[in-house]
Amino acid sequence: MPTEEKTPFDRRYIYIVLFVLISIPLLYPLNLPIPISPMSQDVWDATVALSPGDIVVHSFDFGPSTLPENEPQCSSHLFHCRELGLRVVAVAFWAAGGPLAHDIISEIYGEGYENTAAYGTEIVYIGYIPGAEVGMQTFGDSTWDAKGTDHYGTSLPDLALMQEVRSVADVTLWAEWTSGTPGEQQVIQFIQGRHQGENTDWPLVRGEHLLPIVAGSTAVSVPGMMPFYSAGQLVGILNGLAGAGEYEKLVNDVYPQYPYEQGPGLDAQSVAHILVILFVVIGNITWAISKSGGGKSS
Amino acid sequence: MIPPNIGQLPPELDLFAAIFGVFATIFIYSFLWKENPLSRAVEHLFVGLAAVFTLAFMYDAALSQAVWGTNRLAEGNFIWIIPILLSLMYFFFFSKKYFFLYRYPVSIVAGVMAGMMICGMIQSNFLAQIQATVELPLVGAGVWEGWPPAGLNSIIMIIGIITALTFFFFTWEHTGALGISTRIGRYFLMATFGSAYGGTVMARMSLFIGRLRFLYETSYQDWFWAWYLVPIAAIIVILVALWDRSKG
Repeated sequence: MPTEEKTPFDRRYIYIVLFVLISIPLLYPLNLPIPISPMSQDVWDATVALSPGDIVVHSFDFGPSTLPENEPQCSSHLFHCRELGLRVVAVAFWAAGGPLAHDIISEIYGEGYENTAAYGTEIVYIGYIPGAEVGMQTFGDSTWDAKGTDHYGTSLPDLALMQEVRSVADVTLWAEWTSGTPGEQQVIQFIQGRHQGENTDWPLVRGEHLLPIVAGSTAVSVPGMMPFYSAGQLVGILNGLAGAGEYEKLVNDVYPQYPYEQGPGLDAQSVAHILVILFVVIGNITWAISKSGGGKSS
Repeated sequence: MIPPNIGQLPPELDLFAAIFGVFATIFIYSFLWKENPLSRAVEHLFVGLAAVFTLAFMYDAALSQAVWGTNRLAEGNFIWIIPILLSLMYFFFFSKKYFFLYRYPVSIVAGVMAGMMICGMIQSNFLAQIQATVELPLVGAGVWEGWPPAGLNSIIMIIGIITALTFFFFTWEHTGALGISTRIGRYFLMATFGSAYGGTVMARMSLFIGRLRFLYETSYQDWFWAWYLVPIAAIIVILVALWDRSKG
C-alpha cells in the first residue's frame, strides 16, 4: 500500500497563498493586456460573417458548477448575435442547463439593453430536451419532433421562427456551450456528421458542406476539442475563462454598452498560473536536492 | 421580451439566496483545511438537491415531450403510449418478481445507443480525423511562409501521430527503430498530458475565481454585501471543527 511521503511544508499554506494572491487582482485589478487568441478570433469571424436574419442555435449544455466559465462565454456571444440581427433558437440538452439558459437569455434579451427583441420571431427558447444524444439527433432531424412545446409551454408550430426551423438544415451556425457530455463531440457526431451537405450555404470542409460549429467550453475540456478544431469540424473555440474574457473584450470594443467584466478574473488567473508554475519549479528543485542528497524519492 | 420562467422565485428571495450561497461556499471550501461536519453536510445537500432537481426536471420534460404540444398524446396521437410504457417499465427494477421486465427498456436503450454511437464515432472521430491528417499541407503556396509555417506544424503533427501510435504497438519488442519511435511517441503523449493538466489547473482556478467573485461582488439593494458574512461563516467552521475534535 503506498504511503504518503512527508513534504517539507503543509499543503494548506499553498491554499492560503493562493487565496491571498488571487484575491488581490480581484479587489485591485492589474489591467493586464488581453491578446486575442486565434481560436477566439475564429468564433468572432464566423459570427460576423453571417447575414442579419440568419438562424443560430445556442445549445446550453452545462450546469451551475461551470457557470463562471460558460456563462460569460455564451452571454457575450448571445449579445453579439442579437446586435448583428441574427435570430436565435436556444436549447439545452442538460437538465441543469434549462433554467440557467432562461436566466441568461432573459438578461441579454431583457430590458437592460435597447431594442428589445420579440420572442417568437427573433428568439425562441425551446428549453431542456431530454434524451442526451438521442434528443440531440432528433432535434437535428426534426425540431418539432424533438419537443412538443417551448420552455414556456407554447406549442412549437405556433411560434413564427420555428416555422422556419424544421431541421438543422435551416440553421446557419451552431453555438455549443458545454462542460461535458452531451457536448461538442455529440453535436459533431449526431448533427454535423449526419446532416453534412444538406445546406449549400455551409462552408466547404474537405469537399463537404459542414454545419459550422463554434464552441465554448471549460479549459479542462479544450485539449480534447483541439483535433476537431484542427480538422475543421469546429470553426472556433472559446477556451474557458480566458476565451470568455477575450470574446467579451471583442464585443465590448465594438458595442461599449456590453460590459467587459472578466478583466479582474483574467488578472487573477494569470497570477494563479504564475504561482502554480513557481510551485512546480520549487517542487522539482526540492525533489532534485533530496535525490542528490541520497534521500528516497518516488 | 422573454416570458417569465415557470415557478421562478420572486426577486425578494435573492437576499436569502446570497446568504445561503456564502455559507455553502465557505463550508464546502473548509474541506481544504480539514474535513468537518459542515463540509460533509453541504456536500450531501448538494448531491441531494442535484438528484431532486434532475428528477423533477426530467419528469416535467418527459410530460412536455410526450403528452403536451402538437401531435402528442393529448391530441390523440397514441403512438406515444409505447415510449411512456417502456419508460414506466424501468420501475420494475424495484420488484424481485418482475425484475426481468426492467431488462426490456434497458436493452432497447443500449441497442439504440450502440447503433447511434458506432455510426457517429466512425464518421466524426475516426474517418474525418484520418482524412484531416492525410490532407495536412506539406507543399503548395504559402505553406512554408510566416512563422511558424503551416508546413512545420504539419510535420510535427505527422511525426506525433505516427510515433504515438507506435507506442501502442505491442506485437514486437520496443527496440531498435521501433524503440526510438515509441520513445519519441512517449514524449508527444507526455506533452499532451501536460497540456491536459494545464487545462485542468486553468479550469479549477476559474471556478475558484468565480466563487471569490461571488463573495466579493454579490450585493442586495446596496445595503447587504455577501462578504459581510464571510468572517461569521469562518468562525462557525472553526467552532464546529473544534467541537468535532473534542468528541474525539
